[in-house]
Amino acid sequence: MNNINDELLNKYLDDDLSREENDLVKISIENSSEVKKRYETLLKVHEHLNSIEKESPSIDFTKLVMKKLNAKSVIARQQKYFLLFVLFMLCFIILCFVGYAFYQVISSMQPIQSSEIVTNYSKNLGDYFSNFFGQKNLTIFGSVLSFIMLISGYFLYDYQKHSKKTFSH
Amino acid sequence: MMMKNLTDVEIIESVKKGNQADYAVLIDRYKNKAFTMLKRMLKNDFDAEEVLMDCFLKAYNNLSTFKFESKFSTWFYRIVYNSALTKLSSAKRKIENEMSSVDDLHFLQSSYNADDLVKEDLSLLVKKIVNELPLKNAAVITMFYLEEMRTEEIADILQISVSNVKVILYRSRNLLREIIEKRNLFQEVI
Repeated sequence: MNNINDELLNKYLDDDLSREENDLVKISIENSSEVKKRYETLLKVHEHLNSIEKESPSIDFTKLVMKKLNAKSVIARQQKYFLLFVLFMLCFIILCFVGYAFYQVISSMQPIQSSEIVTNYSKNLGDYFSNFFGQKNLTIFGSVLSFIMLISGYFLYDYQKHSKKTFSH
Repeated sequence: MMMKNLTDVEIIESVKKGNQADYAVLIDRYKNKAFTMLKRMLKNDFDAEEVLMDCFLKAYNNLSTFKFESKFSTWFYRIVYNSALTKLSSAKRKIENEMSSVDDLHFLQSSYNADDLVKEDLSLLVKKIVNELPLKNAAVITMFYLEEMRTEEIADILQISVSNVKVILYRSRNLLREIIEKRNLFQEVI
């Protein structure tokens, strides 16, 4: 009966034994007071472990997690809008340059009579862009744009840093 | 009311569709069990709550990578267990953790004298010892009894073999059995 070790008793408790082993342990428990005592104590441990209640975090835990998740979504949304704004600005600048280049090509060609009105319009528009992107204006325009980009980038970074700090406390 | 009856998979699908608020149902479903496990592993309420919050945020951010190949609970408890390990990775705690290794649980038995054992209520004594178990033992006991997980599932979470899980479980139970036997003996003597 002494060959009924703790491992076998534990497996018996978990119903993790073969039929033969199960019968052997069952007989041992019935016939040996020592094995019976060990098994009963183990069963008591099992019952106590089963009855231990779970513990809870603070009452507003779920609210706090959801608040953090919302804050993260707001930051992500702002980042998305900022990137879209930068992309829009880049597209606008590229379009302006393409338009200017297109005007230069058209103005170098001989106008056909039927498209004279269109050519005049494009010429006027071209002149406007030509003045706007003239050497002096282009420098000012580029500087202002870079300045705006830098400032907006800084404020976005600063705001996000502040938001993260607020919600980590 | 209706949300609470939904399965984890249904809630996750709803969250993935953009219903962020539904994630609160999952938080309510797992917060107490995960908190109990973390508290037993970290031995500290404050750390347990902080790590649990990180776990829920991590799980939410990685929900898109969750492919329903395993149960959400298995996936989530793996995050919880690994986060607890990361928290404990500071040098001092690592040493403490190594000192109270899985193989040597007898330091716990010797920390209770006859007076403590006899005076203490048995349920409270068991609870006290469980709260003092080393990291892996605490995790296994919590998942086995509180989560009613199978040993295969626990092995999957802890990334160890099923036989190792059983060894940890049996050793923890045997330690408690020996302490109770010791208590009974002292009670008989008194």
